[in-house]
Amino acid sequence: MKVSAYMLLALSLFPFQVTLLSSFNPFGIQPDFCLVIACLVGFRTGQVHGLIVGFGLGFLQDLFSAGPFGLHTFTKAGVGFLSGVFARNLSNRDPHAAFVPVMACSGLSAMVFLLWSRMGMGLGEMLYGFSYILLPQAVLDGLVAIMANWVFGRWLVEAPSP
Amino acid sequence: MRGRSRPGVFWGSGVMRVSVAVLAIAFVALALLPQQSQFFFHVLGEPLAGLVAVPVKGMATLDRTLREWWMQYIALQGLSQQNRQLRETVQQLNGEVNRLREQAYMAERLASLLEFQEDKSVRTVAARVIGRSVSNWYQGAILNKGEDDGIQEQMGVMTPAGVAGRIVRTSRSASIALLTTDPNLVIAGMIQRTRDEGMVQGTSQGLVRMKYLPPLSSVKTGDAVVTSGLTGGFPRGVLIGEVDHVEESEDGLFRTAQIVPVVQSRHLDEVLIVVSPRSPEAMPSPDHELILPGAQNPTP
Repeated sequence: MKVSAYMLLALSLFPFQVTLLSSFNPFGIQPDFCLVIACLVGFRTGQVHGLIVGFGLGFLQDLFSAGPFGLHTFTKAGVGFLSGVFARNLSNRDPHAAFVPVMACSGLSAMVFLLWSRMGMGLGEMLYGFSYILLPQAVLDGLVAIMANWVFGRWLVEAPSP
Repeated sequence: MRGRSRPGVFWGSGVMRVSVAVLAIAFVALALLPQQSQFFFHVLGEPLAGLVAVPVKGMATLDRTLREWWMQYIALQGLSQQNRQLRETVQQLNGEVNRLREQAYMAERLASLLEFQEDKSVRTVAARVIGRSVSNWYQGAILNKGEDDGIQEQMGVMTPAGVAGRIVRTSRSASIALLTTDPNLVIAGMIQRTRDEGMVQGTSQGLVRMKYLPPLSSVKTGDAVVTSGLTGGFPRGVLIGEVDHVEESEDGLFRTAQIVPVVQSRHLDEVLIVVSPRSPEAMPSPDHELILPGAQNPTP
């Protein structure tokens, strides 16, 4: 049941992101909804679920990405897992609490992309990518996570407490 | 702090452990054998790509319908439609002017030397943009034509106005194009007026620059930049953009021209994929030899 729900989530979220939500790009930066959902699943239901959902969403993104295969799969699975680990050490799980872990995970993921896609293009390109893509996207992903956590939080069943 | 020290909770149940182990193997394979594993994942993902392409196309249609509805009925319906038609006309006319200018240059230089054979039959396949870039790090577009329509990697993508990008990944029913404004895309270009050649590359700012221009090049603001046709994907003389300003490279050995691209990636809706940059009949036959003036015909 849970696997079916995750598959349905992946198959509906990705097309939604690349079509209808592609117009939502404040300041020229588009939030990564797949990353936000992978993080939230990890945050709310545990790191293993975050890892699997992140892997699935990342794999889908890689199939339609203009970059090298594997980057999205790696990073999304990684942030799904990391946010779950983050949540294990967090006592406050209200919607606002998702901001910091999602922002941190987005920043880490974007750092991988920055190094991979801009390496060897000069310091100017690296700095521009860091200042005008990485940082705004991390903040934007964090804000989207607060909204998504508030809206979808009730459907994400929390991991059992010990 | 939530302390969860119960054994087994960190990695979950048996099924979860197996899943995690499979994912770990996949990661190691991707890291250690990137070429082979990319091919494996591509083959593995092919049916999935076909499956996902269906809702992507459906949502793209919905997106297009909503956009058109918004443009036509909400936001100044009459002016919007007229503006769009005029913009399309201007783009077509720009492309036409550029094509004619390129032909004039070529004719002027070569007509006295060669029996110029007009290369007007470039084979293209029309495609529609059904999705945008999946991340901010790669400027891409998802197109609704794939391997079943004869699309292959490295084929050029253009509009009637000029160069738009290049195909970098294909599946059976869709393909992904890397756009001209992406820093990872490099196209062989040429200043139309001076015939100086260089490499055209995108920037993170969404502009395009032409690198490795000769230091004595007389390139100036307003010059048109076209494809040189030296590398595959594009025919010669397709407009890339217009020179905004010229600067010396950091090492002083070359000049670099900042270019305003003629195709704005955000407004890309329909494109032409260049299946064959030159028609077979326009290609010189293997036994054809170029005879320069003054040279004697070789005896068979």
